[in-house]
Amino acid sequence: MNIDFNKLFFTFLGLMIVLNWGLLMSALMRKIGARVAKRYGIPWFQPWVDLVKNYAIRSQITHGVMFYLGPVFRLSGGVGLFLFMPMVFGSDLWTNFSFKGDLILILYFQFFGMLGMALGAGEGGQPHSFIGISRGLSQFTTIEVPMTLAVIAIAVQYQTLSISDIVAAQQGGIMNWTVFTNPFATAAAMLSVLGAFGHSPFNLVKAPNEIPIGPPTEYHGTYLGVLRTNAAILHVVEAVLFMNLFFGGATTWIELIVKSFLIYFWSVFVGMVFPRFRIEQSVAWFLKIPLILGIIAIILL
Amino acid sequence: MVGPIYIIAIALGTAFSLGFFKKANSNFSFAFMLFAMAFMTFISGQWLYAFLTQQQETIQIFTAGFKPPFSISLQMGLHESVFLSLINIIGLLAAIYLYDQLKEKGVQMMMIFVLLFMGLNVVIMTRDIFNLFVFLEIASIATAGLIILDKSINATSAGFKYIIATGIISGILLIGIIAIYYFAGSLFINDIIKLNLIYVKGGAVAVFLVLIAIILELKPFPANGWALDVYEAAHPGIGAVISAASASAGIFVLAKILPIVGDSGYYIIGLIGIITFLGSNLLGLKQDRANRLLGYSSIGQIGLLLTIIGLTPYLGDKTLFIAFGVLISHALAKAGLFWLAGIVNSEYIKGWAAIRRKPLLLVLMGTFIFALVGFPPFPSFFAKWELIMQLANNDKIIWLALILIGSFIEGIYLFRWFGYAIKEKNEDLPEFPIKLNKVIPVSIVAAGLYLIGYYTGLAIPEAAIINYIPLIFIVIIFALDFLPAYVKNSISILGLAYYSYTIIPAYFENDMLRFIFVVIFLIGGILTFIAGYAYKGKRRGFYPVALIMYVGLVQIIQAENLLQFFFGWELMTAGSYFLIIRGKKSMAHALSYMLFSMGGAYLILAGFALAQQGQMSLSLDVLNSISNNAFIIISLLMIGFLTKTATLGLHIWLPGAHGEAESDVSPMVSAILLKAGVFGLIILLISTIKNIETVSIVYILGWLGAITALIGNLGAAFQEDAKRLLAYSSIGQLGYIVFGLAMMTHLGWLTAFTYTINHFMYKAILFLTIGAVVLRVGTHNMYEMGGLIKKMPFAFIAVLIGIIALSGVPPLSGFTGKWLLYNAVILKGWYFQGAIAFFAGIIAFLYLFKLISSIFLGQLKDNHRNVKEISIWFIIPIYILIIGLMIFAAKPELILQPMGDIVAQYFPDGGLNWDGGLATTPIGNWHGTHIMIIVGVMFMLLLTWLVVLSRKAQKVKQFNIVYSGERPFTPETTHISYNIFAGYNKALGFLVMPWITNFWNFMSDIIHDTAGFVRRIYSGNGQTYLAHIIIYIVVVYFVFFN
Repeated sequence: MNIDFNKLFFTFLGLMIVLNWGLLMSALMRKIGARVAKRYGIPWFQPWVDLVKNYAIRSQITHGVMFYLGPVFRLSGGVGLFLFMPMVFGSDLWTNFSFKGDLILILYFQFFGMLGMALGAGEGGQPHSFIGISRGLSQFTTIEVPMTLAVIAIAVQYQTLSISDIVAAQQGGIMNWTVFTNPFATAAAMLSVLGAFGHSPFNLVKAPNEIPIGPPTEYHGTYLGVLRTNAAILHVVEAVLFMNLFFGGATTWIELIVKSFLIYFWSVFVGMVFPRFRIEQSVAWFLKIPLILGIIAIILL
Repeated sequence: MVGPIYIIAIALGTAFSLGFFKKANSNFSFAFMLFAMAFMTFISGQWLYAFLTQQQETIQIFTAGFKPPFSISLQMGLHESVFLSLINIIGLLAAIYLYDQLKEKGVQMMMIFVLLFMGLNVVIMTRDIFNLFVFLEIASIATAGLIILDKSINATSAGFKYIIATGIISGILLIGIIAIYYFAGSLFINDIIKLNLIYVKGGAVAVFLVLIAIILELKPFPANGWALDVYEAAHPGIGAVISAASASAGIFVLAKILPIVGDSGYYIIGLIGIITFLGSNLLGLKQDRANRLLGYSSIGQIGLLLTIIGLTPYLGDKTLFIAFGVLISHALAKAGLFWLAGIVNSEYIKGWAAIRRKPLLLVLMGTFIFALVGFPPFPSFFAKWELIMQLANNDKIIWLALILIGSFIEGIYLFRWFGYAIKEKNEDLPEFPIKLNKVIPVSIVAAGLYLIGYYTGLAIPEAAIINYIPLIFIVIIFALDFLPAYVKNSISILGLAYYSYTIIPAYFENDMLRFIFVVIFLIGGILTFIAGYAYKGKRRGFYPVALIMYVGLVQIIQAENLLQFFFGWELMTAGSYFLIIRGKKSMAHALSYMLFSMGGAYLILAGFALAQQGQMSLSLDVLNSISNNAFIIISLLMIGFLTKTATLGLHIWLPGAHGEAESDVSPMVSAILLKAGVFGLIILLISTIKNIETVSIVYILGWLGAITALIGNLGAAFQEDAKRLLAYSSIGQLGYIVFGLAMMTHLGWLTAFTYTINHFMYKAILFLTIGAVVLRVGTHNMYEMGGLIKKMPFAFIAVLIGIIALSGVPPLSGFTGKWLLYNAVILKGWYFQGAIAFFAGIIAFLYLFKLISSIFLGQLKDNHRNVKEISIWFIIPIYILIIGLMIFAAKPELILQPMGDIVAQYFPDGGLNWDGGLATTPIGNWHGTHIMIIVGVMFMLLLTWLVVLSRKAQKVKQFNIVYSGERPFTPETTHISYNIFAGYNKALGFLVMPWITNFWNFMSDIIHDTAGFVRRIYSGNGQTYLAHIIIYIVVVYFVFFN
């Protein structure tokens, strides 16, 4: 494997762009939430302040090696997804390492961070963490069902599992986007994305006010900083995944920012309107309408 | 050579002379009688030897110097000598066994005993039909005498019923004989045969009367209540004689008079036989008394023999071989079991748990049970094989099915009984004395079964090539059972290593498919044996049975023909049964395993039989050219193999069997044994790849595999017992393998192979580790563990790697399987099945997280504060497997490319394209090595970053947390583990309601209830039994003269 430092530099730069865009998105989300609740909300730069503060906290404790590794797994999961995701279509420098694997790699790499984080939080010994993790895993299983059907549908539609090729196939006009060529698969996936982003009504994993913040309850200081960093990256990368699969990808960073914003805020807006589901409700929900949409997408192949 | 007439002379002379010894020392009388029995045995054995070495022709002996019909003539031929030898050996051994009883009751009983055997000997030899009647009477009366000599009230009552019943039967026989004499004018059987009386008006009735009388002597169901009471009440030593010697003689008599009846007799005998076989075994199900159970089994076996005789027109010249194999197994095993019953002296079968205080007796009992059911290497195995093959060749499918059903039912109660002996509580049971004179006869018949089994096997060309040397090695290990475990462990490892050395290289050169499986079986065997060093003491009985399983597995791989395959299959089943039943709470699970295995094996047997039909060959290649009934044959074989892969519907045995097994047995029966089913399935699918019927079958199989994966994984998520969780996980993983195979594409098969290898490695890692942890903490329940990570870091790392690999998270090797599966599914077009399989894959995260977090993370329990790391003997094999797993993950092409070559032989198109480490399919691409490097580098960088940032972090205990505003009170209330997926259960738990278990329970209840209902015909009343006999005769009469 020859190391291309130019490429590595651009990859790192891309990561920084994604991180900062992710932080800004989280600020926007909280701002919107506040305004809906008729509050003023945080200043736009609050996430950066939080991040710096977290990284700078000097008093820290650890519950053991796995506890320590949890956030590393989590951030590796987020960064790894970024590395295997083509960001800007048509640019060799912004496609990262996406040629090493395909959509399947992305789907399964999502679990890398989740599993590691779950184990790290487990060693923390905090019951709230366990409750959060068990809910998170339960919910995730069914979130993925309509998503899987949608992925199969578009893989068959485009006869490829390569994300770059899927984006390429959607070029040449808005009507080529999957959302128009395969609306049922898109609908199924966009409903499952609500669960993937974990906003209300599917936010009982972290369930503020109930189980503090679920899995990361015991994490503080630098660990929390790492987790917040990952959250920012992950939100953007996941939105980019859906953008690539269903909304024609992006040929410039500007397009990427606009599209990922819209995709991400679809889940935020839904979350503003609906109250939280209980776990058995949310698990079952994905097996109803989203599943039917996914099945229709497959049947129509 | 001593003339056969001397048998009679000696018996008669002894019986008379014994009268003079009334006052003499009873030991002397006994020695005198024993000598006579021995001499009778010697004479018959001498003739047998002469016939076998073909030094002798069949001879006729004419008494009183006249030729028949003016004198009684005897005949001595090969068949006579076989039966005489069998009966006399049993007589001799029975006499030794009955030493105490005979001595106590005095010379009268000895006289009766000798007379009984004289009667049986003459019954065999005589060619005069009236003489036959006379000596049958002598035998009957002597038997009644022996029964009544036991002073219990039950025995007296049974003896009385016996006399009444045999009296009626003799009356009918006598009337028949008189009528025959009237029509034939001769009592010489050879003359009567020539006359074809059956076609003479009135003669047919005479023949019928003789036939029905002989049949009634054989105690056909349901006119046999009197006989059952005899078996139950008589001394077991007498029961053995009646069951083994008298019944054998009865069968011979039937065969002797059959030519008089002519061909029209076969059908009715077959019918009576099969009804007896099925009915008797069915009723045996409800029996809880040992002697009566043996009675049912005896009558059942005689029913099978009647069936075989009845099927003579279809079995042709194989009839003798088949009948001999079944009869010898029955006679020796049943005598042995009756004798054991006398030693154990327990009325109820549950009381047989006492037998395992003497391991030798338990081994003997196992020998008899397995011989009766027809396992290798016993004669009955080869006989049943030939029987089923011949029936299939003659298109007698219904007969074939009925015989297998009857055998299966017999297996149910025999193995239930055996399970009680091995596992039922025995602390409160009374001691029983062991006397040498009782153990020796039992041991001799058991040894005889093995020996005759070996020679029977040689008689079939396809079985003659079976390599018995590994079995001899097992016998040696068994003989060394008194040695400490580590010595036997080393010998076993060396044995397997040598075995591997001799066979693996050749497979590597010539046959990669078999190479993969033989490596899984043998190298896996060695690795799991290494863990055996962790066990102290002697581990009695463990090594022989484990080796039996491995030898069976290798036989399956080596098999060149169907018989050899089936031989290995049954051997493997027997070995694994013993391994499974070793677990503390495994009694019911081992039975359930055995029943599913037996059912599966019979389906395979039937499938093989139908497949080779009309091909004049038993080579495995016959599967390639199945033409008739292909759908049924392939389905039968497939269902048979699917019982071993625990596919949905046939899986209910697995969780208990694997979950309750010992720590190093679980990986043997899970990671290794289940692959036998996979191998069978692969062989079947390879052979029938071009068969048009396969297409529709594999379509169903695909759905079945996917749903099995889902239900297995979902079931695992709701377990609280760590080993059961892994067991359910195996069901799910095997579901993937079946699903992959069912796709019948290049990538599908590659997926299945990848899963096969992966599952072997990670399930062995997980089962070994969890088993070792269980040995340390003393519980299977995950909620009783917790926080063990700091106590057992090596175990934790092993489980961590195991679950990452199993879950399919990149970069470990599980992802290889997932990636292949996705590609295969999309290219195949099985979208819905694929989606179910992926859903199952995600559910795996639930149970994997529960497994690792409940055991290793969270709060350490107070009683585990002092536990140590798992044993080094577990760590060694675990880490060897981890290295293997890592190599597969980092360099997948090393294994995937040769596997691709194997699969390409059968599915040339649609394979992976390799460009260095980059694998591509028409739709996807993946570079295993680079992904591992990228992920590894990134992970290390981020870790370094975090280490730099939080280098001053203070270490605190898990318990140092604040929970709901308070410091927690105890680890038990703070460790969240029990039922953590309750919400999930609420949403999807309905999918894993035990419908299938309930279905099988329902089936079992129906069969048992039927048995319980039918059993009521045996009221215990002698008059009712007589009515049965009369009604039976009438019914058979109308059927016969239809």
